[in-house]
Amino acid sequence: MYCRNCGTLNDDNAYRCTRCQEVLQPVAGEQGVPPGFQPEVPNYLVYAILTTIFCCMPFGVVAIVYAAQVNGLLTGGNYAGALHASGKARTWCWVALFCGLVPGLIWLLMVGVFGVFSWHTSLR
Amino acid sequence: MLPSAGRPAVRRWLRAAFWIGFVLACGCLLYVADPAGPSCYPPCPVHYLTGLHCPGCGSLRAAHQLLHGHLVAALGLNPLMVLSVPFLAYTCVAGGLRSLGWSALPRRRLPAWMIWSLLGLILAYWVLRNIPVSPLNALAP
Repeated sequence: MYCRNCGTLNDDNAYRCTRCQEVLQPVAGEQGVPPGFQPEVPNYLVYAILTTIFCCMPFGVVAIVYAAQVNGLLTGGNYAGALHASGKARTWCWVALFCGLVPGLIWLLMVGVFGVFSWHTSLR
Repeated sequence: MLPSAGRPAVRRWLRAAFWIGFVLACGCLLYVADPAGPSCYPPCPVHYLTGLHCPGCGSLRAAHQLLHGHLVAALGLNPLMVLSVPFLAYTCVAGGLRSLGWSALPRRRLPAWMIWSLLGLILAYWVLRNIPVSPLNALAP
């Protein structure tokens, strides 16, 4: 999770921020956010673009939709909504990555298996 | 300072080292092996199943040309990918430095309308590069 105080990325189960020692307990609702403070919520736009452009995956486009929602909701001050959209963006980035990588890995495995098989039969 | 405070820092450096190594390895593979023509790369599942050029079609071939310094050839294969490289590089480097504790490069939150415009651009690009008419087929790889 990101530190509310300095924005450093910490482990999700970390108790204190490794940089500024801020307590990272999840805030119930929005009461814990001081007025005027702009918490940073990751929108995963880079991952969305990377999966769209390098994984050849249309699901990356869905992640871009949620990334846009994150920034729009943050600008409007809707922190909880932005967190929700952020989670969705992350999920769709993973979906796009898996759908892009898994067929490729299966293909490589098949090529490997058939390559070894044809080499083996050619020896006879 | 908590006793376990040092451990995440080590993990953060290991993570950074992993990503730098990963990018370097991918770069070396792409530099040596041209994805155009018969190669060791798996085929794109989207192109294989649908025959369509998605917004990412030609990215690996364009990356190969970029690594060899052939900017025009890369633009001919996937112009959107080439244009996105500076943004992606800046965000990745800035995010990486920030996670290691240096906030030298500012984090800029893009206005939502910019991301919506980007979405529209990508969708339009997707449609246009599949139309096999003279000025538009330049967008296809």
